[in-house]
Amino acid sequence: MCGIAGIVYKDGKLHPAGRDMTKMLHALQHRGPDSAGFSIYGGLKLAKDEYLLNIEIKEKKGILNKVKDTIEAMTRIKSEEKIQSVENYIIYRCKISLDSFSQLKPLITEIDKIEDVTVLNGSHSFEMIKDVGSVLEIADRYDTWSKKGTHAIGHTRFSTESIVDRYHAHPFQSYIIPDITVVHNGQITNYWKIRDPLERKGHIFETTNDTECIVHYIADKLADGYKLEEALEQSVKDMDGPFSYIVGTPNGIGIAKDQLGLRPGVMAEDNEIFAIASEEMALGEVVDTRHIEQIAPGEVRVYEI
Amino acid sequence: MKEAKINAKGKTPREVNSKLKKMAEEYDRIIIKNPNAMHYLAAGLTGDVEVVIDGSAGYFAGTMIHGPRIEIRGNAGWFPADNMTRGKIKIHGSAGDGVGQGIYGGTVIVKEDAGSRTGEIMKNGTIIIGGNSGFMTGLYMMGGQIIVLGDLGKDAGESIIRGKIYVKGEVESLGKNAKIKGITDQEKEELEKILGENGFKLEKSEYKKFKKIIPRSRRPFYGKEVEEG
Repeated sequence: MCGIAGIVYKDGKLHPAGRDMTKMLHALQHRGPDSAGFSIYGGLKLAKDEYLLNIEIKEKKGILNKVKDTIEAMTRIKSEEKIQSVENYIIYRCKISLDSFSQLKPLITEIDKIEDVTVLNGSHSFEMIKDVGSVLEIADRYDTWSKKGTHAIGHTRFSTESIVDRYHAHPFQSYIIPDITVVHNGQITNYWKIRDPLERKGHIFETTNDTECIVHYIADKLADGYKLEEALEQSVKDMDGPFSYIVGTPNGIGIAKDQLGLRPGVMAEDNEIFAIASEEMALGEVVDTRHIEQIAPGEVRVYEI
Repeated sequence: MKEAKINAKGKTPREVNSKLKKMAEEYDRIIIKNPNAMHYLAAGLTGDVEVVIDGSAGYFAGTMIHGPRIEIRGNAGWFPADNMTRGKIKIHGSAGDGVGQGIYGGTVIVKEDAGSRTGEIMKNGTIIIGGNSGFMTGLYMMGGQIIVLGDLGKDAGESIIRGKIYVKGEVESLGKNAKIKGITDQEKEELEKILGENGFKLEKSEYKKFKKIIPRSRRPFYGKEVEEG
Protein backbone atom coordinates (compact mmCIF):
# COMPACT_ATOMS: atom_id res chain seq x y z
CA MET A 1 0.00 0.00 0.00
CA CYS A 2 1.32 3.44 -0.94
CA GLY A 3 -0.27 6.85 -1.26
CA ILE A 4 -0.15 8.87 -4.47
CA ALA A 5 -1.32 12.40 -5.20
CA GLY A 6 -1.24 14.98 -7.95
CA ILE A 7 -2.35 18.59 -8.33
CA VAL A 8 -2.55 21.01 -11.26
CA TYR A 9 -3.34 24.72 -10.98
CA LYS A 10 -5.42 25.34 -14.07
CA ASP A 11 -4.23 28.90 -14.74
CA GLY A 12 -0.66 27.66 -15.32
CA LYS A 13 0.73 30.22 -12.87
CA LEU A 14 2.89 29.62 -9.81
CA HIS A 15 1.02 28.58 -6.68
CA PRO A 16 2.05 27.11 -3.30
CA ALA A 17 2.35 23.61 -4.80
CA GLY A 18 4.83 22.48 -2.15
CA ARG A 19 2.53 23.45 0.68
CA ASP A 20 -0.52 21.86 -0.96
CA MET A 21 1.29 18.64 -1.86
CA THR A 22 2.72 18.42 1.67
CA LYS A 23 -0.81 18.62 3.07
CA MET A 24 -2.08 16.02 0.60
CA LEU A 25 0.74 13.61 1.41
CA HIS A 26 0.40 14.15 5.15
CA ALA A 27 -3.25 13.11 4.79
CA LEU A 28 -1.99 9.92 3.05
CA GLN A 29 0.74 9.20 5.61
CA HIS A 30 -1.12 6.10 6.89
CA ARG A 31 -0.69 4.51 3.43
CA GLY A 32 3.11 4.54 3.61
CA PRO A 33 5.50 5.28 6.48
CA ASP A 34 8.83 4.39 4.82
CA SER A 35 9.60 7.42 2.70
CA ALA A 36 7.95 10.26 0.83
CA GLY A 37 8.66 12.34 -2.21
CA PHE A 38 7.64 15.24 -4.40
CA SER A 39 8.08 16.42 -7.98
CA ILE A 40 7.20 20.10 -8.04
CA TYR A 41 7.08 21.44 -11.58
CA GLY A 42 7.46 24.96 -12.87
CA GLY A 43 9.08 26.71 -9.92
CA LEU A 44 12.79 26.32 -10.64
CA LYS A 45 12.94 28.88 -13.44
CA LEU A 46 16.32 27.67 -14.71
CA ALA A 47 17.91 29.04 -17.87
CA LYS A 48 17.49 26.89 -20.99
CA ASP A 49 20.80 25.04 -20.52
CA GLU A 50 20.68 24.77 -16.72
CA TYR A 51 20.04 21.68 -14.59
CA LEU A 52 19.71 20.97 -10.88
CA LEU A 53 21.56 17.92 -9.53
CA ASN A 54 20.28 16.31 -6.35
CA ILE A 55 22.96 14.03 -4.85
CA GLU A 56 23.01 11.85 -1.73
CA ILE A 57 26.49 11.82 -0.13
CA LYS A 58 27.68 9.94 2.94
CA GLU A 59 29.37 12.24 5.46
CA LYS A 60 32.95 11.04 5.04
CA LYS A 61 36.03 13.17 4.55
CA GLY A 62 36.85 13.91 0.93
CA ILE A 63 33.75 12.51 -0.76
CA LEU A 64 32.07 15.84 -1.43
CA ASN A 65 35.24 17.15 -3.06
CA LYS A 66 35.37 14.05 -5.30
CA VAL A 67 31.80 14.76 -6.38
CA LYS A 68 32.60 18.40 -7.13
CA ASP A 69 35.74 17.42 -9.06
CA THR A 70 33.74 14.95 -11.16
CA ILE A 71 31.13 17.57 -12.00
CA GLU A 72 33.70 20.27 -12.72
CA ALA A 73 35.53 17.97 -15.10
CA MET A 74 32.49 18.44 -17.32
CA THR A 75 31.01 21.80 -16.31
CA ARG A 76 31.20 24.64 -13.81
CA ILE A 77 29.14 24.49 -10.60
CA LYS A 78 27.11 27.72 -10.68
CA SER A 79 25.55 27.47 -7.22
CA GLU A 80 25.33 24.88 -4.48
CA GLU A 81 23.45 23.95 -1.30
CA LYS A 82 23.89 21.28 1.36
CA ILE A 83 20.92 19.83 3.22
CA GLN A 84 21.45 17.66 6.30
CA SER A 85 19.54 14.38 6.05
CA VAL A 86 19.51 11.39 8.41
CA GLU A 87 21.84 8.41 8.90
CA ASN A 88 25.02 10.49 8.28
CA TYR A 89 24.02 11.60 4.81
CA ILE A 90 23.85 15.03 3.30
CA ILE A 91 21.97 16.01 0.17
CA TYR A 92 24.19 18.10 -2.07
CA ARG A 93 22.31 20.18 -4.63
CA CYS A 94 24.03 22.17 -7.31
CA LYS A 95 23.12 24.11 -10.41
CA ILE A 96 25.09 23.43 -13.58
CA SER A 97 24.94 24.17 -17.31
CA LEU A 98 25.16 21.56 -20.05
CA ASP A 99 25.40 21.95 -23.80
CA SER A 100 22.60 19.44 -24.25
CA PHE A 101 20.22 17.22 -22.26
CA SER A 102 22.03 14.16 -23.63
CA GLN A 103 25.01 15.00 -21.40
CA LEU A 104 22.97 14.73 -18.20
CA LYS A 105 22.69 10.95 -17.84
CA PRO A 106 26.41 10.30 -18.62
CA LEU A 107 27.35 12.87 -15.96
CA ILE A 108 25.02 11.19 -13.44
CA THR A 109 26.57 7.81 -14.28
CA GLU A 110 30.07 9.23 -13.64
CA ILE A 111 29.06 10.68 -10.28
CA ASP A 112 27.34 7.41 -9.29
CA LYS A 113 30.69 5.60 -9.66
CA ILE A 114 31.97 7.36 -6.50
CA GLU A 115 31.56 5.14 -3.45
CA ASP A 116 28.85 6.22 -0.97
CA VAL A 117 27.36 8.63 -3.51
CA THR A 118 24.03 8.31 -5.34
CA VAL A 119 22.53 10.89 -7.65
CA LEU A 120 18.86 11.07 -6.70
CA ASN A 121 18.00 13.01 -9.84
CA GLY A 122 18.89 15.72 -12.29
CA SER A 123 16.18 18.02 -13.60
CA HIS A 124 15.49 21.15 -15.56
CA SER A 125 11.84 22.09 -15.09
CA PHE A 126 10.98 20.50 -11.75
CA GLU A 127 12.37 20.04 -8.27
CA MET A 128 12.51 16.53 -6.85
CA ILE A 129 12.50 16.12 -3.09
CA LYS A 130 12.51 12.61 -1.67
CA ASP A 131 13.84 11.07 1.50
CA VAL A 132 13.21 8.45 4.15
CA GLY A 133 10.95 9.34 7.06
CA SER A 134 7.55 10.89 7.52
CA VAL A 135 6.03 13.54 5.26
CA LEU A 136 6.27 16.26 7.89
CA GLU A 137 9.89 15.43 8.74
CA ILE A 138 10.83 15.62 5.07
CA ALA A 139 8.74 18.75 4.59
CA ASP A 140 10.62 20.52 7.37
CA ARG A 141 14.02 19.15 6.25
CA TYR A 142 13.61 20.52 2.71
CA ASP A 143 11.14 23.32 3.42
CA THR A 144 8.60 21.99 0.94
CA TRP A 145 6.14 24.44 2.52
CA SER A 146 7.69 27.36 0.63
CA LYS A 147 8.06 25.72 -2.81
CA LYS A 148 6.05 27.20 -5.65
CA GLY A 149 4.92 25.38 -8.78
CA THR A 150 2.36 25.06 -11.54
CA HIS A 151 1.70 21.37 -10.77
CA ALA A 152 3.09 18.59 -8.62
CA ILE A 153 2.94 14.88 -7.87
CA GLY A 154 3.81 13.11 -4.62
CA HIS A 155 4.05 9.79 -2.83
CA THR A 156 4.08 8.10 0.56
CA ARG A 157 5.80 4.71 0.37
CA PHE A 158 5.00 1.36 1.94
CA SER A 159 7.74 -0.82 0.52
CA THR A 160 6.79 -4.33 -0.61
CA GLU A 161 9.88 -5.90 -2.20
CA SER A 162 12.45 -3.18 -2.91
CA ILE A 163 14.68 -1.77 -0.19
CA VAL A 164 13.86 1.37 1.76
CA ASP A 165 16.30 4.16 0.95
CA ARG A 166 16.32 7.62 -0.62
CA TYR A 167 16.83 6.43 -4.19
CA HIS A 168 13.95 3.93 -3.99
CA ALA A 169 11.62 6.59 -2.60
CA HIS A 170 9.26 7.85 -5.29
CA PRO A 171 9.11 9.77 -7.61
CA PHE A 172 11.27 7.88 -10.08
CA GLN A 173 12.66 9.74 -13.07
CA SER A 174 13.57 8.70 -16.60
CA TYR A 175 16.25 10.38 -18.70
CA ILE A 176 14.94 9.11 -22.04
CA ILE A 177 13.35 12.55 -22.43
CA PRO A 178 13.59 15.46 -19.96
CA ASP A 179 11.70 15.71 -16.71
CA ILE A 180 9.34 12.72 -16.68
CA THR A 181 8.55 11.37 -13.20
CA VAL A 182 6.22 8.73 -11.77
CA VAL A 183 4.69 7.90 -8.39
CA HIS A 184 3.08 4.49 -8.08
CA ASN A 185 0.85 2.42 -5.82
CA GLY A 186 0.88 -1.29 -6.66
CA GLN A 187 2.84 -3.97 -8.46
CA ILE A 188 3.61 -4.61 -12.13
CA THR A 189 3.53 -8.40 -12.26
CA ASN A 190 4.78 -8.72 -15.86
CA TYR A 191 7.76 -6.51 -14.99
CA TRP A 192 10.37 -8.39 -17.06
CA LYS A 193 8.09 -8.50 -20.10
CA ILE A 194 7.87 -4.69 -19.96
CA ARG A 195 11.54 -4.17 -19.09
CA ASP A 196 13.18 -6.45 -21.69
CA PRO A 197 12.18 -4.53 -24.84
CA LEU A 198 13.09 -1.23 -23.19
CA GLU A 199 16.57 -2.53 -22.34
CA ARG A 200 16.98 -3.87 -25.86
CA LYS A 201 16.32 -0.30 -27.05
CA GLY A 202 19.25 0.81 -24.87
CA HIS A 203 17.41 2.29 -21.91
CA ILE A 204 19.35 1.93 -18.66
CA PHE A 205 17.76 0.45 -15.54
CA GLU A 206 19.39 1.29 -12.20
CA THR A 207 17.14 -0.90 -10.03
CA THR A 208 14.76 -3.86 -10.19
CA ASN A 209 11.95 -1.64 -8.94
CA ASP A 210 8.76 -1.76 -11.02
CA THR A 211 8.18 2.00 -10.71
CA GLU A 212 11.43 2.64 -12.57
CA CYS A 213 10.05 0.33 -15.26
CA ILE A 214 6.86 2.42 -15.54
CA VAL A 215 8.69 5.73 -15.85
CA HIS A 216 10.98 4.38 -18.60
CA TYR A 217 7.98 2.83 -20.38
CA ILE A 218 6.06 6.14 -20.39
CA ALA A 219 9.11 8.23 -21.34
CA ASP A 220 9.86 5.81 -24.19
CA LYS A 221 6.29 6.12 -25.49
CA LEU A 222 6.42 9.94 -25.26
CA ALA A 223 9.77 9.88 -27.10
CA ASP A 224 8.07 7.80 -29.81
CA GLY A 225 5.47 10.52 -30.30
CA TYR A 226 2.60 9.28 -28.14
CA LYS A 227 0.56 11.92 -26.32
CA LEU A 228 0.52 11.44 -22.54
CA GLU A 229 -3.06 10.13 -22.64
CA GLU A 230 -2.18 7.65 -25.39
CA ALA A 231 0.89 6.44 -23.50
CA LEU A 232 -1.16 5.87 -20.37
CA GLU A 233 -3.90 4.04 -22.30
CA GLN A 234 -1.33 1.76 -23.91
CA SER A 235 0.27 1.06 -20.51
CA VAL A 236 -3.05 -0.15 -19.12
CA LYS A 237 -3.20 -2.69 -21.96
CA ASP A 238 0.45 -3.75 -21.67
CA MET A 239 0.93 -3.93 -17.90
CA ASP A 240 -0.44 -6.62 -15.61
CA GLY A 241 -1.00 -6.47 -11.88
CA PRO A 242 -2.70 -4.15 -9.44
CA PHE A 243 -1.61 -0.55 -9.96
CA SER A 244 -2.51 3.06 -10.06
CA TYR A 245 0.20 5.55 -10.89
CA ILE A 246 0.56 9.24 -11.64
CA VAL A 247 2.94 10.66 -14.23
CA GLY A 248 4.32 14.17 -14.05
CA THR A 249 5.59 15.97 -17.15
CA PRO A 250 6.59 19.60 -17.72
CA ASN A 251 3.06 20.14 -19.11
CA GLY A 252 0.83 18.39 -16.60
CA ILE A 253 -0.09 15.15 -14.89
CA GLY A 254 -1.96 11.94 -15.70
CA ILE A 255 -3.21 8.89 -13.82
CA ALA A 256 -3.66 5.30 -15.01
CA LYS A 257 -5.39 2.47 -13.18
CA ASP A 258 -5.21 -1.27 -13.81
CA GLN A 259 -8.02 -3.01 -15.67
CA LEU A 260 -9.43 -4.71 -12.58
CA GLY A 261 -9.31 -1.53 -10.52
CA LEU A 262 -7.37 -3.13 -7.70
CA ARG A 263 -5.72 0.07 -6.47
CA PRO A 264 -7.63 3.21 -5.56
CA GLY A 265 -7.81 6.58 -7.27
CA VAL A 266 -10.21 9.50 -6.86
CA MET A 267 -10.33 12.92 -8.44
CA ALA A 268 -12.00 16.25 -7.85
CA GLU A 269 -11.75 19.61 -9.52
CA ASP A 270 -13.04 23.15 -9.45
CA ASN A 271 -12.35 26.21 -11.58
CA GLU A 272 -8.84 26.57 -10.19
CA ILE A 273 -7.57 23.08 -9.35
CA PHE A 274 -7.51 19.54 -10.77
CA ALA A 275 -6.50 17.03 -8.10
CA ILE A 276 -6.11 13.25 -7.94
CA ALA A 277 -5.16 11.03 -5.03
CA SER A 278 -5.44 7.58 -3.51
CA GLU A 279 -8.08 8.75 -1.06
CA GLU A 280 -10.60 11.53 -0.61
CA MET A 281 -8.97 12.80 2.57
CA ALA A 282 -6.02 14.06 0.50
CA LEU A 283 -8.29 15.80 -2.00
CA GLY A 284 -10.10 17.49 0.89
CA GLU A 285 -6.91 19.38 1.71
CA VAL A 286 -6.94 21.32 -1.58
CA VAL A 287 -10.36 21.22 -3.24
CA ASP A 288 -14.07 21.01 -2.44
CA THR A 289 -14.88 17.30 -2.18
CA ARG A 290 -18.66 17.41 -2.16
CA HIS A 291 -18.44 15.88 -5.63
CA ILE A 292 -15.62 13.43 -6.22
CA GLU A 293 -15.17 10.85 -8.98
CA GLN A 294 -13.75 7.36 -8.70
CA ILE A 295 -11.15 6.53 -11.33
CA ALA A 296 -12.67 3.45 -12.98
CA PRO A 297 -10.81 0.20 -13.69
CA GLY A 298 -8.60 0.67 -16.75
CA GLU A 299 -9.33 4.38 -16.90
CA VAL A 300 -6.80 7.15 -17.49
CA ARG A 301 -7.18 10.86 -16.76
CA VAL A 302 -4.85 13.61 -17.90
CA TYR A 303 -4.73 17.33 -17.17
CA GLU A 304 -2.25 19.42 -19.10
CA ILE A 305 -1.70 23.19 -18.95
CA MET B 1 -34.21 11.70 22.21
CA LYS B 2 -30.77 11.99 23.79
CA GLU B 3 -28.20 13.39 21.38
CA ALA B 4 -24.42 13.81 21.64
CA LYS B 5 -21.55 14.98 19.45
CA ILE B 6 -18.02 13.72 18.87
CA ASN B 7 -15.43 15.98 17.30
CA ALA B 8 -13.19 13.66 15.24
CA LYS B 9 -10.62 16.35 14.48
CA GLY B 10 -7.20 15.33 15.74
CA LYS B 11 -8.44 11.93 16.91
CA THR B 12 -7.52 8.47 15.61
CA PRO B 13 -10.23 6.10 14.30
CA ARG B 14 -9.71 3.98 17.42
CA GLU B 15 -10.31 6.97 19.69
CA VAL B 16 -13.45 8.01 17.82
CA ASN B 17 -14.84 4.47 17.74
CA SER B 18 -14.11 3.83 21.43
CA LYS B 19 -15.97 7.01 22.33
CA LEU B 20 -18.80 6.17 19.94
CA LYS B 21 -19.29 2.69 21.43
CA LYS B 22 -19.41 4.09 24.96
CA MET B 23 -21.85 6.86 23.98
CA ALA B 24 -24.07 4.44 22.05
CA GLU B 25 -25.00 2.82 25.36
CA GLU B 26 -26.39 6.10 26.68
CA TYR B 27 -27.47 8.23 23.69
CA ASP B 28 -30.02 7.68 20.89
CA ARG B 29 -28.28 9.83 18.29
CA ILE B 30 -24.60 10.63 17.94
CA ILE B 31 -23.19 13.13 15.47
CA ILE B 32 -19.57 12.79 14.39
CA LYS B 33 -18.25 16.21 13.40
CA ASN B 34 -15.15 16.80 11.23
CA PRO B 35 -14.81 13.19 10.02
CA ASN B 36 -12.45 14.27 7.19
CA ALA B 37 -12.88 10.97 5.29
CA MET B 38 -11.55 8.99 8.28
CA HIS B 39 -11.38 5.19 7.87
CA TYR B 40 -13.26 2.54 9.92
CA LEU B 41 -15.84 4.93 11.41
CA ALA B 42 -18.46 3.08 13.48
CA ALA B 43 -16.72 -0.27 12.89
CA GLY B 44 -18.39 -3.10 14.76
CA LEU B 45 -21.04 -0.87 16.34
CA THR B 46 -24.12 -2.70 17.61
CA GLY B 47 -27.50 -1.74 19.06
CA ASP B 48 -30.38 0.54 18.22
CA VAL B 49 -28.55 3.84 17.77
CA GLU B 50 -28.49 6.52 15.10
CA VAL B 51 -25.09 7.83 13.94
CA VAL B 52 -24.66 10.88 11.73
CA ILE B 53 -21.27 11.29 10.07
CA ASP B 54 -21.28 14.98 9.26
CA GLY B 55 -19.08 14.87 6.14
CA SER B 56 -17.26 12.18 4.19
CA ALA B 57 -16.17 8.81 5.56
CA GLY B 58 -13.11 6.85 4.44
CA TYR B 59 -12.73 3.09 3.95
CA PHE B 60 -14.88 0.48 5.75
CA ALA B 61 -17.44 2.93 7.16
CA GLY B 62 -19.85 0.91 9.32
CA THR B 63 -18.04 -2.38 8.75
CA MET B 64 -19.57 -5.30 10.66
CA ILE B 65 -22.35 -3.26 12.27
CA HIS B 66 -25.37 -5.01 13.75
CA GLY B 67 -28.33 -2.70 14.21
CA PRO B 68 -27.30 0.96 13.93
CA ARG B 69 -28.68 3.44 11.40
CA ILE B 70 -25.81 5.44 9.94
CA GLU B 71 -26.17 8.53 7.80
CA ILE B 72 -23.08 9.78 5.94
CA ARG B 73 -23.55 13.40 4.87
CA GLY B 74 -20.81 13.24 2.25
CA ASN B 75 -19.04 10.55 0.27
CA ALA B 76 -17.72 7.17 1.41
CA GLY B 77 -14.50 5.41 0.41
CA TRP B 78 -14.04 1.71 -0.30
CA PHE B 79 -16.18 -1.01 1.34
CA PRO B 80 -18.88 0.93 3.24
CA ALA B 81 -21.11 -1.48 5.25
CA ASP B 82 -18.67 -4.35 4.68
CA ASN B 83 -20.08 -7.55 6.27
CA MET B 84 -22.96 -5.73 7.96
CA THR B 85 -25.47 -8.13 9.52
CA ARG B 86 -28.29 -5.71 10.42
CA GLY B 87 -28.90 -1.96 10.21
CA LYS B 88 -28.93 0.78 7.59
CA ILE B 89 -26.25 2.97 6.04
CA LYS B 90 -27.28 5.93 3.90
CA ILE B 91 -24.58 7.77 1.94
CA HIS B 92 -25.67 11.14 0.57
CA GLY B 93 -22.83 11.48 -1.95
CA SER B 94 -20.90 8.91 -3.96
CA ALA B 95 -19.05 5.81 -2.78
CA GLY B 96 -15.94 3.89 -3.76
CA ASP B 97 -15.47 0.23 -4.59
CA GLY B 98 -17.09 -2.68 -2.77
CA VAL B 99 -20.23 -1.02 -1.41
CA GLY B 100 -21.96 -3.58 0.86
CA GLN B 101 -19.25 -6.19 0.35
CA GLY B 102 -20.31 -9.48 1.94
CA ILE B 103 -23.34 -8.14 3.81
CA TYR B 104 -25.56 -10.68 5.56
CA GLY B 105 -28.47 -8.28 6.05
CA GLY B 106 -29.54 -4.67 6.38
CA THR B 107 -29.77 -1.91 3.80
CA VAL B 108 -27.10 0.25 2.14
CA ILE B 109 -28.10 3.32 0.14
CA VAL B 110 -25.81 5.42 -2.03
CA LYS B 111 -27.60 8.47 -3.43
CA GLU B 112 -25.05 9.10 -6.22
CA ASP B 113 -22.60 6.81 -8.09
CA ALA B 114 -20.77 3.79 -6.69
CA GLY B 115 -17.41 2.37 -7.80
CA SER B 116 -16.57 -1.20 -8.82
CA ARG B 117 -17.72 -4.53 -7.35
CA THR B 118 -20.81 -3.21 -5.54
CA GLY B 119 -22.34 -6.03 -3.48
CA GLU B 120 -19.51 -8.49 -4.08
CA ILE B 121 -20.03 -11.77 -2.18
CA MET B 122 -23.13 -10.37 -0.45
CA LYS B 123 -25.28 -13.06 1.15
CA ASN B 124 -28.47 -11.13 1.89
CA GLY B 125 -29.77 -7.62 2.47
CA THR B 126 -30.40 -4.75 0.06
CA ILE B 127 -28.14 -2.28 -1.70
CA ILE B 128 -29.63 0.73 -3.53
CA ILE B 129 -27.48 2.88 -5.82
CA GLY B 130 -29.11 6.13 -6.94
CA GLY B 131 -26.63 6.68 -9.80
CA ASN B 132 -24.38 4.32 -11.74
CA SER B 133 -22.59 1.29 -10.38
CA GLY B 134 -19.22 0.25 -11.86
CA PHE B 135 -17.30 -2.81 -13.01
CA MET B 136 -18.40 -6.28 -11.81
CA THR B 137 -21.39 -5.17 -9.75
CA GLY B 138 -22.68 -8.21 -7.84
CA LEU B 139 -19.41 -10.17 -8.20
CA TYR B 140 -19.94 -13.68 -6.80
CA MET B 141 -23.20 -12.49 -5.22
CA MET B 142 -24.81 -15.22 -3.10
CA GLY B 143 -28.11 -13.63 -2.09
CA GLY B 144 -30.04 -10.43 -1.45
CA GLN B 145 -30.76 -7.69 -3.95
CA ILE B 146 -29.00 -4.77 -5.57
CA ILE B 147 -31.10 -1.98 -7.10
CA VAL B 148 -29.36 0.43 -9.46
CA LEU B 149 -31.21 3.45 -10.80
CA GLY B 150 -28.47 4.41 -13.26
CA ASP B 151 -26.28 2.24 -15.50
CA LEU B 152 -24.17 -0.82 -14.78
CA GLY B 153 -20.52 -1.12 -15.88
CA LYS B 154 -18.78 -4.05 -17.53
CA ASP B 155 -19.26 -7.67 -16.40
CA ALA B 156 -22.36 -7.05 -14.31
CA GLY B 157 -23.28 -10.06 -12.16
CA GLU B 158 -19.90 -11.75 -12.71
CA SER B 159 -20.16 -15.32 -11.32
CA ILE B 160 -23.44 -14.53 -9.57
CA ILE B 161 -24.75 -17.61 -7.68
CA ARG B 162 -27.95 -16.36 -6.05
CA GLY B 163 -29.76 -13.03 -5.60
CA LYS B 164 -30.98 -10.36 -8.04
CA ILE B 165 -29.60 -7.16 -9.51
CA TYR B 166 -32.34 -4.75 -10.62
CA VAL B 167 -31.21 -2.05 -13.02
CA LYS B 168 -33.13 0.81 -14.59
CA GLY B 169 -30.44 2.03 -16.99
CA GLU B 170 -28.06 0.41 -19.45
CA VAL B 171 -25.91 -2.66 -18.82
CA GLU B 172 -22.49 -2.34 -20.48
CA SER B 173 -21.93 -6.11 -20.46
CA LEU B 174 -22.80 -9.20 -18.45
CA GLY B 175 -20.34 -11.31 -16.47
CA LYS B 176 -20.09 -15.10 -16.52
CA ASN B 177 -23.20 -16.95 -15.30
CA ALA B 178 -25.36 -13.81 -15.50
CA LYS B 179 -28.47 -13.33 -17.63
CA ILE B 180 -31.03 -10.52 -18.02
CA LYS B 181 -34.79 -10.95 -17.65
CA GLY B 182 -37.75 -8.64 -17.45
CA ILE B 183 -39.38 -8.08 -14.06
CA THR B 184 -42.83 -9.16 -12.93
CA ASP B 185 -45.64 -6.86 -11.78
CA GLN B 186 -45.06 -8.10 -8.24
CA GLU B 187 -41.40 -7.15 -8.47
CA LYS B 188 -42.39 -3.68 -9.75
CA GLU B 189 -44.57 -3.23 -6.70
CA GLU B 190 -41.82 -4.41 -4.39
CA LEU B 191 -39.34 -2.03 -6.01
CA GLU B 192 -41.77 0.88 -5.68
CA LYS B 193 -42.25 0.08 -2.01
CA ILE B 194 -38.59 -0.29 -1.09
CA LEU B 195 -37.44 2.70 -3.17
CA GLY B 196 -40.23 4.86 -1.74
CA GLU B 197 -39.32 3.84 1.81
CA ASN B 198 -35.75 4.91 1.16
CA GLY B 199 -36.39 8.32 -0.34
CA PHE B 200 -36.41 7.58 -4.09
CA LYS B 201 -39.61 8.80 -5.74
CA LEU B 202 -40.00 7.60 -9.34
CA GLU B 203 -42.83 8.09 -11.78
CA LYS B 204 -44.96 4.94 -12.22
CA SER B 205 -43.82 4.69 -15.83
CA GLU B 206 -40.17 4.56 -14.74
CA TYR B 207 -40.66 1.14 -13.19
CA LYS B 208 -41.26 -0.31 -16.64
CA LYS B 209 -37.61 0.34 -17.43
CA PHE B 210 -36.29 -2.01 -14.77
CA LYS B 211 -34.85 -5.38 -15.68
CA LYS B 212 -33.11 -7.91 -13.50
CA ILE B 213 -29.86 -9.82 -13.67
CA ILE B 214 -30.01 -13.30 -12.22
CA PRO B 215 -27.82 -16.42 -12.34
CA ARG B 216 -27.95 -18.74 -15.35
CA SER B 217 -27.10 -21.66 -13.09
CA ARG B 218 -27.05 -22.16 -9.33
CA ARG B 219 -24.00 -24.44 -9.73
CA PRO B 220 -21.92 -22.92 -12.51
CA PHE B 221 -18.53 -24.26 -11.47
CA TYR B 222 -18.82 -27.79 -10.05
CA GLY B 223 -21.25 -29.65 -12.33
CA LYS B 224 -24.97 -30.23 -12.27
CA GLU B 225 -25.01 -32.86 -9.50
CA VAL B 226 -26.01 -31.31 -6.17
CA GLU B 227 -23.90 -32.68 -3.34
CA GLU B 228 -25.76 -33.55 -0.17
CA GLY B 229 -24.30 -33.00 3.24
